[in-house]
Amino acid sequence: MEATKQAINKKRSWTTRLDAKKKRIDSVKNLVNGMVIPTDRIVDVMEKLIQPGDRVVLEGNNQKQASFLSEALAQTNPKKLFDLHMIISSISRPEHLDLFERGIAKKVDFSYAGPQSLRMAQMLEDGKLTMGEIHTYIELYGRLFIDLIPSVALVAADKADRHGNLYTGPNTEETPTIVEAAAFRDGIVIAQVNELTDELPRVDIPGSWIDYIVVADEPYELEPLFTRDPRHITDIQILQAMMVIRGIYEKHEVQSLNHGIGYNTAAIELLLPTYGESLGLKGKICRHWALNPHPTLIPAIESGWVDSVHCFGGEVGMEKYVAARRDVFFTGRDGTLRSNRTLCQMAGQYAVDLFIGSTLQMDSEGNSSTVTRGRLAGYGGAPNMGHDPGGRRHSTPAWLNMMTSNDPLARGKKLVVQVVETFQAGNKPVFVESLDAVDVKNDTGLAAAPVMIYGDDVTHVVTEEGIAYLYKADSMEKRREAIAAIAGVTPVGLTHDSKKTDSLRREGLIALPEDLSIRRTDAKRSLLAAKSVEEIVQWSDGLYEPPAKFKSW
Amino acid sequence: MKIAFLFPGQGSQKPGLLNDLPHETSVKKVLDEASSALNVSVYNLQTKEALSSTTSVQISLLTAGVAAFKAFEAEGIKPDYVAGHSVGAFSAAVAAGVIDFRDALRVVKIRGELMERKYPQGYGMGVVLGMDEDKLQSLVSQAYDEKHPVFMSNKNAPDQITISGSLSGIQRVLDEARQKGASKASMLDVSTPSHCPLLSSVSEELAEALHDIPFHRPFIPYAGNRRARLLFDPVDIRLDLAESVSSAVQWHDASVVLYENGARLLIEMPPGNVLARLAAKAFPEARVMSVTENGFSDCQYIAQKNKRSKK
Repeated sequence: MEATKQAINKKRSWTTRLDAKKKRIDSVKNLVNGMVIPTDRIVDVMEKLIQPGDRVVLEGNNQKQASFLSEALAQTNPKKLFDLHMIISSISRPEHLDLFERGIAKKVDFSYAGPQSLRMAQMLEDGKLTMGEIHTYIELYGRLFIDLIPSVALVAADKADRHGNLYTGPNTEETPTIVEAAAFRDGIVIAQVNELTDELPRVDIPGSWIDYIVVADEPYELEPLFTRDPRHITDIQILQAMMVIRGIYEKHEVQSLNHGIGYNTAAIELLLPTYGESLGLKGKICRHWALNPHPTLIPAIESGWVDSVHCFGGEVGMEKYVAARRDVFFTGRDGTLRSNRTLCQMAGQYAVDLFIGSTLQMDSEGNSSTVTRGRLAGYGGAPNMGHDPGGRRHSTPAWLNMMTSNDPLARGKKLVVQVVETFQAGNKPVFVESLDAVDVKNDTGLAAAPVMIYGDDVTHVVTEEGIAYLYKADSMEKRREAIAAIAGVTPVGLTHDSKKTDSLRREGLIALPEDLSIRRTDAKRSLLAAKSVEEIVQWSDGLYEPPAKFKSW
Repeated sequence: MKIAFLFPGQGSQKPGLLNDLPHETSVKKVLDEASSALNVSVYNLQTKEALSSTTSVQISLLTAGVAAFKAFEAEGIKPDYVAGHSVGAFSAAVAAGVIDFRDALRVVKIRGELMERKYPQGYGMGVVLGMDEDKLQSLVSQAYDEKHPVFMSNKNAPDQITISGSLSGIQRVLDEARQKGASKASMLDVSTPSHCPLLSSVSEELAEALHDIPFHRPFIPYAGNRRARLLFDPVDIRLDLAESVSSAVQWHDASVVLYENGARLLIEMPPGNVLARLAAKAFPEARVMSVTENGFSDCQYIAQKNKRSKK
């Protein structure tokens, strides 16, 4: 036995990955200065450091984009570099798909592709791109450590020093996760930086995890995606926000939560200091948040509603405000925000009482999806946060409030709330017989229909008609009835028998505004703590500096 | 920020359209070239009477689009992408350097004449607003029969789709659409059932005509009509130009492809502002202009400024 084992061990090298990495590093020795790749040599260096068939994770977040590196990769020679397997959490820049059009890359795993959703669908149809999977964020990040381990990581940071230490500041997002997956499996990590300096404000990622840095020809792209101008909030959204505050947050004593990015959740944030205050709810609800620094949260923070906010990423213009409110936000020694998408997604999935978001379509059982036929868009953070991880155990009032039986082993549930108007723009019903996601699955040959949030995870649905308390439904039949009762004149709503409305109200399966002592006529924009971006700036004592496109004064 | 030039198709014409073009030498050169190639003054093709002929309309549109493009070119402005709707695709092909202007004139003349000859009476097109593709398609399928053929044709916006075929078939679909919730459903003032299989013989003859002229690789990426892809191979562009007359124009998707490729300044070449309005609605974040509405010098100024700022 002993002898056989030794014989086997002798044959095998246990450092093939490291050996391969060393070889690649040797091949660019004459092109680089130590850790620094000269800006104008990036394409040559990439053609050597990356090999055909490599699994390359490219930092494309919702907000921060490794735009210099993605443009450089798209300029490499497809005769030298081909068949790459790209992992990009958010496919949002044209050159992300140029990689496939030019034959440099072949396969893709991603989470979200909204800004490129038509080209994605076309390239899949034309055979220019083969699909890995459409992942939720945590699944994608998780698989970087299991079976999608990257050979190369291309990331973006604000600053680096000569040792390769990185400062990512408020926009740390997913950089540490991507780097970790590559760095500790002998992959190659290249970071583009806006600036090379002697001293960093703080170290977000240690230099020993980084192989190369390159100074970009212009700063990485950053989008203000989470800024909602209160000017666009409608009376209907205010009515829905009042219902949510009374009929869900107050009723279940929701203390920790995540909000989507729609105007309806922005309305809730802006009603806390006014309507919420009038109900005496301060300190009882909405204290802990997994949320980007939404400007619309400023009035609630200033009024003392908010104890803590952990962020997925930053938000353009919020840097000074966040630094000046460090009791509330996670900040470094230098004073700026530290965000982390992986940890915040996980916190949003496992640690908060409630997720609330919106959707474009919902079927009669509460399954929802934002995909449209002919497009391949994926989804953002909603599928992670909008589901109830079965193994959770919590003792918060909201969690326990979801128990519906006296079984000694009964457990609570995460609150997953969908808030929608019964019709979206262009007279399209939100409540439909069958989701477009089913057609998309058939059209594209996906393994599973790209459902965003599964119906059995949804505990509440809110429309302008009322709230459906789905967690109380003890059968699919009841569930359908409750949804149909608040689905207005959509195809699903028309199946509702209005004679049943009163019994559903009595059973507490639905609540209309009057059941919550809300008068529809009270739902006015005057209730908003700030009615414009300008007023948000005033609330912030001038610390919030909105990007130009939100300035109308 | 990338720039796309959009070239309009039939429906955008109006009498005197060539007189409204920028008064530049580059424009005059194009008009003179057209007149000499056609052996007739192009100014005679743009009168009210002349524009009752599809052929005159198509030639005028082609000429106007190419002339305006040349005026921008003379100022050193080159778009990153071009796309044209229906006959506008020929202007786009000339702009992209795929075909020569004189060849385009010859083929477009043939195209117009074939379309005029094919269906003299009882056929046309309609438009339905406020109804999505799937729903409209089911109405069209229900209304179709061999004696009264009708097809879904151009998708100009997700909720603005044309139908083509026999007038009776179209009328049936329009009536149904109105009942089933369309916000508007009406006949178009067009006498040819364009962009549907009824014109497949036109496509075949057009393909032959196109075979006789030289095609080059586009030096500006060009978005096709039928499948809304960027086309780089001259053979693909030739096929698109031939087939488009008997296929639905996927205009909405074609413009989305330009947008997804980074086009954020979209300028519609003259005449009219039909495509600019569609683009403004589809892309609220983009800057959309038309030469007709904003004037040549404003469009030129913005494009110039945009060029300097690079991204």
